[in-house]
Amino acid sequence: MSAWRRLRVKLRSVPGFLVSIRPTQRHTSPYGRLTLCRSLSTGSHLRNEFFKDLEAQLAAFRKKAADALPGSSWSPLQINPNLPPERADIVIVGGGVVGWSIAYWLKQKEMVRGGVRVVVVEKDPTYSQASTVLSAGGIRQQFSLLENIHLSLASADFMRNINEHLGVLNEDPVDLQFNQSGYLFLANEEVAHIMEENYSTQRYAGAKVSLLSPTQLKQKFPWVNTDGVVLASYGLENEGWFDPWTLLNAFRRKAISMGVIQCYGEVTDFKCTTNVLRTSSGDTVDLKRIGSVKVQMPNSLEYQPVECAIVVNAAGAFSGKLTEMLGIGSGPKDSIAGIPLPVEPRKRYVYVVHCPDGPGLDTPFLIDYSGVYFRREGLGGNYIAGVSPEEAEEPDTSNLEVDHQFFEERVWPGLAHRVPAFEKLKVTSAWAGFYDYNTFDQNGIIGIHPLINNMYLATGFSGHGLQHSPAVGRAVAELILDGNFKTIDLSNFSFRRILTQEPMLEKNIV
Amino acid sequence: MLKILLPTIMLIPTTWLSPAKQLWTTTLAYSLVIALASLAWFNSPTETGWSCMNSYMATDPLSTPLLALTCWLLPLMILASQNHTSSEPTGRQRMYITLLTSLQIFLILAFSATEVIMFYIMFEATLIPTLIIITRWGNQTERLNAGTYFLFYTLAGSLPLLVALLLLQNSTGTLSLLTLQYTPAMELSSYADKFWWAGCLLAFLVKMPLYGAHLWLAKAHVEAPIAGSMILAAVLLKLGGYGMMRMMTMLEPLTKELSYPFIIFALWGVIMTGSICLRQTDLKSLIAYSSVSHMGLVAAGILIQTPWGFTGALILMIAHGLTSSALFCLANTNYERTHSRTMILARGLQMALPLMTAWWFIASLANLALPPLPNLMGELMIITSLFNWSWWTLALTGAGTLITAGYSLYMFLMTQRGPIPAHMMALHPTHSREHLLIILHLLPLILLILKPELVWGWSA
Repeated sequence: MSAWRRLRVKLRSVPGFLVSIRPTQRHTSPYGRLTLCRSLSTGSHLRNEFFKDLEAQLAAFRKKAADALPGSSWSPLQINPNLPPERADIVIVGGGVVGWSIAYWLKQKEMVRGGVRVVVVEKDPTYSQASTVLSAGGIRQQFSLLENIHLSLASADFMRNINEHLGVLNEDPVDLQFNQSGYLFLANEEVAHIMEENYSTQRYAGAKVSLLSPTQLKQKFPWVNTDGVVLASYGLENEGWFDPWTLLNAFRRKAISMGVIQCYGEVTDFKCTTNVLRTSSGDTVDLKRIGSVKVQMPNSLEYQPVECAIVVNAAGAFSGKLTEMLGIGSGPKDSIAGIPLPVEPRKRYVYVVHCPDGPGLDTPFLIDYSGVYFRREGLGGNYIAGVSPEEAEEPDTSNLEVDHQFFEERVWPGLAHRVPAFEKLKVTSAWAGFYDYNTFDQNGIIGIHPLINNMYLATGFSGHGLQHSPAVGRAVAELILDGNFKTIDLSNFSFRRILTQEPMLEKNIV
Repeated sequence: MLKILLPTIMLIPTTWLSPAKQLWTTTLAYSLVIALASLAWFNSPTETGWSCMNSYMATDPLSTPLLALTCWLLPLMILASQNHTSSEPTGRQRMYITLLTSLQIFLILAFSATEVIMFYIMFEATLIPTLIIITRWGNQTERLNAGTYFLFYTLAGSLPLLVALLLLQNSTGTLSLLTLQYTPAMELSSYADKFWWAGCLLAFLVKMPLYGAHLWLAKAHVEAPIAGSMILAAVLLKLGGYGMMRMMTMLEPLTKELSYPFIIFALWGVIMTGSICLRQTDLKSLIAYSSVSHMGLVAAGILIQTPWGFTGALILMIAHGLTSSALFCLANTNYERTHSRTMILARGLQMALPLMTAWWFIASLANLALPPLPNLMGELMIITSLFNWSWWTLALTGAGTLITAGYSLYMFLMTQRGPIPAHMMALHPTHSREHLLIILHLLPLILLILKPELVWGWSA
């Protein structure tokens, strides 16, 4: 009842809607003066609220009417509404930020409405193990590969204008909380020359990076201990961190509003047709073409085969498992079929620490040459810190349990050495997330698999998938719809480099 | 007549008794023999026009081309269905061929019927095998919706036809086409007679389809398997045209005024469905709407009731039957390789399958009515007879021709030219069966250039 009253008051307060009221006129409502106040919300347009409220009212009314009327909602055709459609054009396996970015760009680039039918299949609706939401959320242009720099620049530009791209009519605008505080890489004597080379590459590509000497560094950031630091590289623009969950939801909301179908289920099997070809030396090569994808519903034996033309593998840390289902990696050792997709999950810990005397609000995302990193989180003196473990001490990936000993032994000493204020801190929280780690060269694999004619790969980003996701999504959409890369040429990231064993290594990575 | 009908009926026991390994070759060879034998119908010039007669069935220059087209289409349908049914158990394959054959039987009986009620019964009877083919062998969930639309649109249109025919029987005492042509024109003056006129034509207009009642076609064509699409596009639509042409003789003199809105609907439909084609993303949907466009011209040509109009309508029906069926077969070759009908995902196929591009090219040119193909002859005759009736129709038909050329080229360029995407790699090369299928569609079309008298109808 009070909701209806509130609605009526809103109607009255919009001048000229029900009754012609001049805004300066005083009027008394029959429900007393208590209900005359306008709501205290700021931000969205009043008209927007009216419609949303109205829809909520109507939905509540409909529900109440349905409950009151006799009869039940049983129907003889007990169709599970959560099943994916029987047929789709493109099935994107993996509902992380890369998957939804690809879905959004596919819809953005189709030339007519309803041009392609896209289904995004995600196995975990809570995203409890997804790398996207467990990420530290940083974005930087300080890479050594030109392609990576271009990807980050394009993604940063996308995120700065995110409401132009991902704004949905009559919905709240997207607020990524993009803190452009920059990244600060510190280099010691051995790696300073690499940093200088990277600096010139980055400037050539258009990134706004500056090199700082130790004195300049101390001047800019007095809380840093410049012991052992010979050179520092500081990103001035388009670098920082943002909220990955908001980005994921923005992509998802926009894509669904453009007609992408979302399905919660796990891809357990593929049905392929195989074309057996012979090479000139007489060996056989099996070229597979995926005909349909079997999607199993969560916590159920029910499944739905989805007939599709193209499958995009954006499954992140679990992409390797997906391609194993197609027999990649299980062929003879010296053949293409024997080379598995070199993506596996690697666990990384992130620790939230509270240090009231820590560095100030202009703290960049600092990455030390020892591998220890930290960034500011929020405005209350909290920081996020971590380090990449050595190859030998890679933690077990069967669960996402956090090893707090690791913080004591590996993270805190480095942190305290670099920032003396961090000698006194308190670990308030911690979590662990998977990198979709490319064991070959720690860079993304984008392109079609040589043996599976219609599976596109967009995985293996090893910790920088989130920051590249808008640009990677656009690149994969260009591959599928335009036949080739149009804006950023990522042909160096194709699967070929794994076949020819030519790694595209980044110098200085975290 | 019986020498074609009885073998077609016996094709049903043949499909059930053939050994599984030889099923498709047997039925294909059998139906090809029937098809070749049916060409003998062309060789019968008689005074009254009717030939090959028995008490219930006869052929005349109007029904002969359509009968030959029907008989020609059965081997083509069997050829086209071989691949996609190969994964099914033999019993189901036999059922499929039986349905196609029974459709054939009903169509032969319909086109050769001398009694209008028999034509009506066969007209309705063709719905059942088609419905079963669409709903059982179609590819998506939408096929149930498509089947419903298809069934109920046609049924709703043909119930008034039944009533009208019974009324006709009451007033004239006969419904035999042989004599109805010679009965004096009926006294059609009251308001109810106008409803009777509409009742006679409504079923055929829905079947053609006329633009306002065309929604079933878009769905049915897209959801049907390849043989269903072929028979729908090639022959079942022509049932509507044939019925209209037969009924026209007895609907005088009301047609002079009452046909006006339907002609306009038809011509407007040509432009509207042509424009819809330009925005289609689904290849089969594009070809389905182009069928509506061409049949709109046919409907207009028939309603004009001049010799040129009728001739043009008949030529266009035959030519469109072959062209549309060829385009559906081409779209099916695409679908079997990529499992998608979306045009934007299957582009640049000239790089991968160049000979198939040649067939696409000829079929697209036939669709846009390139001279000297019979498509142009038909369209030109209809356009001129419409122009003779009213100069203003030229604006609509001219724009229609332009848009037809537009979307035919759009379809060709979109599927064949342009960059080939990475997932179009390692497609199966074109099978000989597919080449044979398209040749068997396009060869009669090209041969008709040389002897169009075969399909001129009464103007011979």
